[in-house]
Amino acid sequence: MKTFAIILFVFMCVAQWVVPGKMIYDSESVVTSGTVYKFKTQPIDPSDPFRGKYITLSFEANRIDPPGDHPWRYNEEVYVTFTQDSAGFAMPTSISTTPPAEGAYLHTKVSYVDSGSSSPVGFELPFDRFYLEESKASEAEKAYWEAQRDSTQVAYGVVRIGAGNAVLTDVMINDRSIVEVVKAMNRTPE
Amino acid sequence: MELPANTRAAFLFLKNEYLPIPVISTTPATRMSKQILKELPELVRANVISEETAQRIAAHYENQPNPTTNRLLVVFGILGGLLIGMGIVLIVAHNWDELPKAMKLGIGLLPLLVGQGIAGYIVLKNIQSRAWREGCGAFLCFAIALSISIVGQVYNIEGNFGRFLMAWMLLTLPCIYVLRSSVTAMLYIVGVTWYACEVGYFSYNFMEGSRVPWKYGPMLMLVLPFCYTEFILPGIKNNFYYFISWLLVLSLTVCLGTFQGSDQLLMMAYMSLFSLFILLSEIKLFETQRVLTNAFLVVGSLGIMGSLLILSFEWYWEDIYDNSTLHALAGDVETSVAGAVTLMAIAMLFVVLRTKSAAAINLKAYAFLVFIALFFLGIKTPGAAQLLVNLVVLVFAVYTIRDGARKNHLGILNYGLLIITGLIACRFFDTNFSFVLRGLLFIGVGVGFFAANIYMIKKRKQGA
Repeated sequence: MKTFAIILFVFMCVAQWVVPGKMIYDSESVVTSGTVYKFKTQPIDPSDPFRGKYITLSFEANRIDPPGDHPWRYNEEVYVTFTQDSAGFAMPTSISTTPPAEGAYLHTKVSYVDSGSSSPVGFELPFDRFYLEESKASEAEKAYWEAQRDSTQVAYGVVRIGAGNAVLTDVMINDRSIVEVVKAMNRTPE
Repeated sequence: MELPANTRAAFLFLKNEYLPIPVISTTPATRMSKQILKELPELVRANVISEETAQRIAAHYENQPNPTTNRLLVVFGILGGLLIGMGIVLIVAHNWDELPKAMKLGIGLLPLLVGQGIAGYIVLKNIQSRAWREGCGAFLCFAIALSISIVGQVYNIEGNFGRFLMAWMLLTLPCIYVLRSSVTAMLYIVGVTWYACEVGYFSYNFMEGSRVPWKYGPMLMLVLPFCYTEFILPGIKNNFYYFISWLLVLSLTVCLGTFQGSDQLLMMAYMSLFSLFILLSEIKLFETQRVLTNAFLVVGSLGIMGSLLILSFEWYWEDIYDNSTLHALAGDVETSVAGAVTLMAIAMLFVVLRTKSAAAINLKAYAFLVFIALFFLGIKTPGAAQLLVNLVVLVFAVYTIRDGARKNHLGILNYGLLIITGLIACRFFDTNFSFVLRGLLFIGVGVGFFAANIYMIKKRKQGA
């Protein structure tokens, strides 16, 4: 009987390590070998009970005019590829129901379909959270709104995309990490 | 028939070795032993027992472990495990961005390693201490949450809270069986309920509305073998049993509403569920000594009376009349859920009828059958159905008062009177009775409260 308890225990331990292990492996492989894209963004400041404070990002490059007359459905699994526009920001180039043979692409789901076959198709960008140290999240939000008022400042997320997966590595305001911006704000007396 | 070796091992593991030591017991052993020890000199003086016997009795109780100390140890073990686990989750949630990625991951995953280490020690050494098992289970549960969260935090992984809860609970499940931990089972039930609520109630999507948490049922069922082998099979009704049965019953009650398609059939599902609870409370396996410790009976009865009071208003019946409900009956989520729960209630009714006569069963157990009849009547003539609901409530109230008087139970008697008060209070709002008549009704029920209670107390005094 004890043997059975030990087998169950071993199974439990393996399962409990496989889940975080797989998450780390997938993310790490994207971080080391994925292509870097810059996604224009707008953050706000909510909180997650387990993972702490984060800013939610909503991106501009989340829809595409689909080629052909494929009847896109809500929640359908799709593969999206990106390129850079003239300002260096990510722009979707293609959407399909099968993965491209090579290059970086994002495996995601259709989030919005308008009536009419030629209307733009919206898709989820599954990197909408950037976690920050508790004390810095609201400061980060302030920094962002400063950037919004000042039209010369631009906020964007740095995302690495591999074969299907994507990892958000930083949020930048005028090419400076938002973490650095907040640190500088804290050092400067009001 | 011979079971395959693996299955047999699993069954024996669950059945025999699994039988726990009831550390938390409702038996007031300490108080009793103290009383006996106090009586010993008197018993010796009166020549009831010899000096030697008295000494042997005293030695017997001195050598026994003190159950109060054990109970305290278990409580502190659980509280310690819970608080340390939750504390670490909060500290890591602070997100120390000065730390490098590898160190953050290391710190976040360390509690899991520690928890598994302690669990491994408990399993290998076959430690029976309830405090260790429960404390370790509670800690490990939060260490699992932390291990998933820290990776999500470090790599900014998209937040789907429902999926996180599901992964967390499925990884927590083996801890219940490995450690035989009731606290982990409780946390699991709470987590699974949270998952169903997150998916069914809180994650409203404008494109598809609320989703139905289909995985809730199977996930909840996975904890039942533990409950069966831990409490039902050995016939142990300790505090853990009471807590777990309350949590299970409340979880089902809260989560049934997530299986909502249109509207009206949900009431049928709830009536059948509450009747099923009452029927379960009629089975010997689920009987408890006190009413309040029987979650099936309390929730079932309160649920039925609450639902019937809601049904005594006009709006529900107008709704099923206007929406030509019969057309909507086919192919809805609610239809299948209401059908399934009703079938289970019918099956349970047959099971109970094998051991008890129809008249001996709590009358409220038949509420679902009455409601089904009223439902079909209400589709054609809503007014008659509404009127009959009032009558049904009145019958249940009288039955409850009579039951209280018969069992000499003041609580049940007053519950019956409260049902009548509830009914009158509901009619206070939607009838055109004159104020005088309504006032007289309230005075009448008030007098009834006094009279019934005084009668009961007098009866008790006479009996004493």
